[in-house]
Amino acid sequence: MDQLASTQLLLSALVLASIYALVALGLNLIYGTMRLLNVAHGELMMLGGYTSFWAFELLGVGTLWSMFGAIALTAALGALCYVTVFRYVVRNRELAARLESNSLLIFFGFSIIIQNGLSIAFSADQRSYTYLNGIFALGDARVELNRLAVLGVGAAATAACVLFFRFSRLGLATRALIQQRDAASLVGINADRIQLLVFCVGFGMAGLAGSLVSMTETVTPFGGFPYTISAFIVIILGGLGNLTGGILGAVLLATIEIYGVALTSSAYRSILVYGVFIAILFLRPQGLLGRKMR
Amino acid sequence: MNLKSIALRAATASAAMLLAATAFAVEPVKVGVGIAQTGMFAPAAIPALNAYKMWADDLNASGGLDVAGTKRPVKLIVYDDQSDFTKDAAIYEKLITDDKVDLLLSPYATPAHFAIVGVLERYKFPMMGSTAASVQLKAVKPGNIWFPTSALPDVMGPELVKLMKAQNIKTVAISTLQSPFAQEVEKYLKMALKDSGIKLLSSVEYAPDIRDMTSIVSKMKSEQPDATFSLSFPGDSVLFMKAAREQGLSAPFQFVLVGPSAAFFSKIFGKNLDGIVTMGHWSPYQTKWPKAMPFFEEYSKRYNETPDYLDVALAYMSCEITQAAVAKVGLDHDKLRKEISSATFDTIDGPVKFDGVSNASTPTMFLQNQEGKPQIIWPASDATSTFQKKGPWAN
Repeated sequence: MDQLASTQLLLSALVLASIYALVALGLNLIYGTMRLLNVAHGELMMLGGYTSFWAFELLGVGTLWSMFGAIALTAALGALCYVTVFRYVVRNRELAARLESNSLLIFFGFSIIIQNGLSIAFSADQRSYTYLNGIFALGDARVELNRLAVLGVGAAATAACVLFFRFSRLGLATRALIQQRDAASLVGINADRIQLLVFCVGFGMAGLAGSLVSMTETVTPFGGFPYTISAFIVIILGGLGNLTGGILGAVLLATIEIYGVALTSSAYRSILVYGVFIAILFLRPQGLLGRKMR
Repeated sequence: MNLKSIALRAATASAAMLLAATAFAVEPVKVGVGIAQTGMFAPAAIPALNAYKMWADDLNASGGLDVAGTKRPVKLIVYDDQSDFTKDAAIYEKLITDDKVDLLLSPYATPAHFAIVGVLERYKFPMMGSTAASVQLKAVKPGNIWFPTSALPDVMGPELVKLMKAQNIKTVAISTLQSPFAQEVEKYLKMALKDSGIKLLSSVEYAPDIRDMTSIVSKMKSEQPDATFSLSFPGDSVLFMKAAREQGLSAPFQFVLVGPSAAFFSKIFGKNLDGIVTMGHWSPYQTKWPKAMPFFEEYSKRYNETPDYLDVALAYMSCEITQAAVAKVGLDHDKLRKEISSATFDTIDGPVKFDGVSNASTPTMFLQNQEGKPQIIWPASDATSTFQKKGPWAN
């Protein structure tokens, strides 16, 4: 029981929550605004991870700088993806009628292309580098500095995004689009511009998450899928399209993973995660902060 | 130029052309392999494929594969099983029936080996296995597949206990990935611990999708065991060791199952890898095996990273054994089968002789990283160094 009160577990839970929140944020934005299921989200993370890996290996540039490159690269890919594919899909009445299922297939295709593209370009070897790996002591807890960087940057980026979408003009327009798509268009909100922005931010956040994770885990072309699954759990727990709900979902998932295991056994981790997931779906099918469908 | 000289030149040119045509006509030996080039096992499988490619390229550079006295070029035919073991049987069947390969090299990992045993039996096609290690291998009837590994869980368990007793270990804590190989090691380690005088303090299992091992290491640390076992695969081995370093896990004997012998591990952990014990039965520093260091140096130079001490070594050994058998008896399957079953082969891992499907000459060994080099520390007969207690983690 003493273990439960330890700062070590608290820090681990916060680090994990910040990563989950960041990964889920991009997925949530794209689903919330356009009802697109981006199953290539994990692969975008790996793209961000490779950007930081190569920046470090070839140029000696640390992750705290190269993460901006990762954001720029994945955001540009988001813009390209929207302009070349989804703008057409959304405008085409026939395709738009089956938007969710179509997006699932299109993004699945993207995920395969990114995986194999990365594999051909860089091989499937596990890539890693050592950056900010000094130990920082906080009371009785010891944590690698790169994990603290993940926590700090992840939390700051998530908070910045949430504040942007809550208080800025563009953010308000995006939320209007999420809540009442048709009405938003009627009051003059440029849906096309908002959707482009959302693709850039959503993809960019995935790139940022991958860049941060590359400091603490190995990067491979096929390492993104588990994060896609975690991100889907988080956004469904929190309420699809609800950014604050996503943060709550991330904290809940991380808490279950860290404290649930400490309280019971690591053997029960998946049972606990999916047990709580199913329970919440039963009790609140719309997610913790989601709105009931009418 | 007189008529005689013209005739002589014409004859010489004809002979040269004939020779060239003959050389050109030498059919390459087609060697087939299905292996994970994409998917979750690709990072671990590609180094094994690298060993295959290096072997084939070296042979071609030296004039080709000696097929019972005739040198023939080698042509590798490689298919990607996409880390989906259910595809391997179809791939190997295609290699045999459609590509009509002369030889086969093995896929990556135990389940893939098991998946193709039926195909090999159906076509009576002999093939050297490589990266497969499971007690179930012993259930495979001798026939067309052989396994060069000596890292089998039912032997590893008792040998680990002997190694720990020699270091005066009294207490143990185990964490195990829920995967067939790790769980087999766990099972046989626990069996060997019974009545050994070494107390098992705790044993936990975890699912493969774990993202943080702080809680597991924290529990282990609170029990203060003399020995910790992380029966893990590379991804979770990284998580375990990072958590162990953060929390300063101080057990003098720390075992990590799969990962520490891979090149990327030393890149992540550097000096902190020193003192970690892992499975493996090959080291370039074993001077008894003269081929070991040249292989290590060539692979390191060619791929700009050191070979994995387990998988890559096993993959290359399977090539060496196949090559030696073909040199002796050619490509006839019956003769190859008899040769592999009965001969002793000189490999980078020393002499290998099979008893049934298993390697009967290489003992089960354990490696420990010492000053950046993986040294064999068990058994004493093959050791390149002695066990050293895990020192404090560097900050």
